[in-house]
This record gives sequence, C-alpha cells and structure tokens, in this order.
Amino acid sequence: MSIAKPAATGFAPSEPSPGPKAQAVIAQRERRLVILGLFPILLWQTIFFVIPMLILLVYSFWTMHDYRLDYNFTLANYVEIFTSPIYLKAFLLSLQIALFVTAICAVLAVPIAYFIAKKAGRKRAILLVMVIIPFWVSLVMRAFAWRLLLGERGFINRGLEFGGLIDHPLSFLLYSPTAIVIGLIYAYLPLYVLPLYASFDKVRDTWIAAAQDLNATPMRAFWEVTLPLAFPGLIVGAAFCFIFGLGEYIVPALLGGGKSLMISQVIRLEFELRQNWPGGAALSIVLMIMIVAILAVSLRWLRPEMAR
Amino acid sequence: MNVARAIETGGRGRGRLGGVALAAYAALVFVFLYLPIVVIILFAFDDKPVPGLPIKGLTLNWFERAFSTPDLMDGLFTSICLALCSALLATAIAMPAAMALAWRDIKLRTLVVCLVLAPIVAPQIVIGLGLVLLFRFTPGLIGSPAIVIAHATLTACYATMILYSRLLGFPRSYLEAAMDLGASDARVFFEIVLPLAAPAVLAVLLLAFTDAFGEYVVAWFVAGFTKTLPIVIWGSMRGVLSPAINAVSAIIILVSLVLSAASQMWIIRQARSSAP
Repeated sequence: MSIAKPAATGFAPSEPSPGPKAQAVIAQRERRLVILGLFPILLWQTIFFVIPMLILLVYSFWTMHDYRLDYNFTLANYVEIFTSPIYLKAFLLSLQIALFVTAICAVLAVPIAYFIAKKAGRKRAILLVMVIIPFWVSLVMRAFAWRLLLGERGFINRGLEFGGLIDHPLSFLLYSPTAIVIGLIYAYLPLYVLPLYASFDKVRDTWIAAAQDLNATPMRAFWEVTLPLAFPGLIVGAAFCFIFGLGEYIVPALLGGGKSLMISQVIRLEFELRQNWPGGAALSIVLMIMIVAILAVSLRWLRPEMAR
Repeated sequence: MNVARAIETGGRGRGRLGGVALAAYAALVFVFLYLPIVVIILFAFDDKPVPGLPIKGLTLNWFERAFSTPDLMDGLFTSICLALCSALLATAIAMPAAMALAWRDIKLRTLVVCLVLAPIVAPQIVIGLGLVLLFRFTPGLIGSPAIVIAHATLTACYATMILYSRLLGFPRSYLEAAMDLGASDARVFFEIVLPLAAPAVLAVLLLAFTDAFGEYVVAWFVAGFTKTLPIVIWGSMRGVLSPAINAVSAIIILVSLVLSAASQMWIIRQARSSAP
C-alpha cells in the first residue's frame, strides 16, 4: 500500500521512487487511516467491555449491607467464595460439566469434521454450513426444544416406550445434570467442528496417501498422521467448548431443574434475588480468571489459528 | 488426491466399509443437530393444548393465537427494531477495523486483535452484570439503548473477524489504481470497497441481526422494562406453556435458519471466488 499518493500530485506520472517528503506524507496518511479504522472499535470495546470488567473488579472488593453498598476495601467476598460450600459446589459442578461436555464433543466432532473435510467431496461446503446454522438459532429456543424432547411425555420417552424398551418414562432425563450435558453438547458441538474441520482441511491428502503407500492401514494413517497434524484444531475446539460450557446460563437454567446450580446461575441469583452485586462481581472475576488461565494454556495453539 | 482416493477405494473392502460407517455416523450427527428444531416446528402444528406425542391432528390455531397475543407481537416488534439497530451499529464499527487489520501494518497487532475478540470468551452472564453496573452511571440508557449497545458489543467482535478474513482476499490493486488516479479515501471506500465487499457486509449484517434477535442473557440484565421477544418467551416458560409460544418459536427458527444459511453460503462462496 505504498502507492497511495497525496492528492496534491494529482495525475503526475508515477515516479519510480518518491522523494523523502512524499514518503513522509504517505506514511502520515497511512497512520491516519489505521487510527481512523481501529479507533471506533477500540473505543467501543474499552467503554463497553474493558471498563465493565474493571467495574466488576472494583465491586468485588466492596460489600453489600442492608441493600447499601459499603465502599470499604475487603477480601470478604473472595474468602466466602473459597469457604462457602454453596459456591464451591457450583464451581465444581460447572467444571465437571464443562469437562465432560468437552470430552464428549471432541469424540463426536472428530469423525464428523474428518468426514466433511476429507470424504464429502463437493458437498463439503453445504455440509459445513448445515453444521453451523443451528448455532445461530436463539439458544433460548433450542434449549426449550430439548424440554419437549426430554420431558416425561417428551419425544424420547414416548419413543422408548413405543419401542418397548421401557415401561415407565425415564424421569432423570429432564431437569438433571444429564439434561444440562445433553443441552450443552447440542449447543456447542458446531463450535468444536469448525476449528477441527479447518485443521483436517490443512492436512494434505498426499501425506495420508504417503502413509498408506508405506502400508499403513487407513486406521493407522488416521491415528498416526492425520489426527496428530490436526491437533491444533482439537485444542482450539476444546478450549472454546470448555470456556463456553463453564459460563453457560441458558441451558442449565432451562434444563437443570434448579436443584444443583451452575456458577452462572449463582451469579444471576446473587444479582436478582439477594441484590448482592459485590458477591456476584467477585464470582464473575473468579470465573474470568479461570477462563483467562484456560486461554493462556491453549494460546500456543490458538495464536496461529487467530492469525489466519 | 486422485491417487489417495484410488488407494482408499481401490478394492479395499474394509476401507469402503469404514467410509459407509463414517457417512452413517455423519447422518446421525445431523439428525441430532436438527431433531430439536424439527420437533419444535412439528409441535407448533399439534392440535392438543399440551403438545406431546402422539400427534393426532394438525392445526394452524396456535399461529393465529400467537399473532393475536399482544405481548408476543410487541416483543417481536421490539426485537426486530433493536436487533436491526445493533446489527447496523456493529457492522459500522467492524468494517473500518477489518479494513485496517487486513490492509495495513499495525503495531501491537496481537494486542489489538485480543481486545477486539475479548467479548467472545467472556460468559454472557459476566458481560451482563458488568454492563448493568456500568449503566448505573447513566440510568437513562437502561432499556432499548442499553440493549442495542450490549448486542453491538457482543456481535462487533466476530463481525470484525469475518469481514477481516474476507478482505484479506480483496484485490488490492483496485484500491491502488483508484488512489493513483487521485480518488479520496471516502471515494475509494464508497465506490470500490463497499460495492465489492457488499455480499460479505450483508452476510455479517444478517448474522449480527440473527444473533442479537435471539440473545437473552445480557439483554435481561440491561432491559429495564423493555421486553424483547426472548425475554417474553423466557417469562412465559415459567408459567403454563401456551402452544402459541411454540408457534412463534417455529417462525423465528425458520427465519433464523434461512438468514444464517444465506449469509453463511455468501461467506463461503466469496471465500471460494477470492481464493488464490
């Protein structure tokens, strides 16, 4: 982009090497365009994302007494989080569910991503789009649909009864951690398939063919060549799946039944019912620290993906 | 590639069997992904007041009921207006950033990209709580303006990244030619960049609209007394469920599917035509 010229030179024939003064003008114009381009979004994200996070951080050191904020610095909120069984249980449940969901999503996503990238031929674009588009339907409605599926008179129970597999409807399907796990897998499977697909796509067919030329079975070629080469996609998908599962609110709220709460539900209860904003803020900060830690660990594989 | 395929399919029974198993598995995954959507649409036509199997008769009554329920229609109208505003806003701040990222050298590029993408990884519940505490300073914005701002914040990050990846393949020689002929920056943008990037911009607008339209968690925090459709639907899910909700959901799901499918196809087609 060094050809951009100051308007003053107008239609002058292009000089092979602009003089130092012209270069300075070009550089200035470049800089102005970069600043103009990035300024709106950086300002926006600072005001509506960075500052709210800082506000949460500040609030987390305050306390609430009789519905009034007490502005004295204290670590009481954090002490409570790490000592109260309610909060610890919520964090533990969130971690367990996110881990479980990530593992299952990985197992489910590898074959489908491999199939689309390597075996679908001309249909790959349309299949990939078909994986993604449910993701754009409001999660409220998608989770609601699982209520219709998992309920005692829902699709799945009726189907099993009809098939003679069960006599009584399975009541543990809905309003349980099982339901949360199913809902989260459903919600975030497309998100795992995308980076995996990109990784499989980058593994050249000739490399796989080479392995098979050397007498590797298709299975062995997959396990020892294709999958290791697609490892970055596996990690990126896992990181996103875990992070989104950890902080998800809609799915546990609609399908969890409220007996055992995930951390996001506790944050909303602190805000909505207990009016304990500092408590909710402290929980949010701990959650954000966990997420940043996960990102930091997976950054090695994330960075080249982001650069694309 | 042909060699690879020849080896894979060249008379190896096991390989072909594996291929069939893989295709069958893929079909199952697609059933899993689309079953809930099909069920919600199917139950919208069920003539029983409490939807469930077996479906004996079909009716359009619930759609009629939905269209004559003021709460639902007000929510629908509010959601359409607010999502339109936030999609336009998000695209307007994403486009210049995407151009700068794609075409210029930027110092601290990683930092800039991290800042732009940060809202993606933050849980919606955290963003919602942070925003509601921010809007305590400006209580007048609580309600519709706050919802538009919140959704623009959530969608601008991936809008920037989608536009950025499309603009990377943009024929830059056109820009240089125009600038050589003395066109101003604004003229280059409106007469060359925008017409050529229009499909990507439109795709991003549609995605941002669809996403903002269905978003509930953050909107709930900053909504005040404003009721978007997801907020109305969420509220009614606590009480006795009217099949009218199913009907509205079915319509919205169909519209979302069409919008996102169209925009994703545009994005992919553009990627293909601009691929080196």
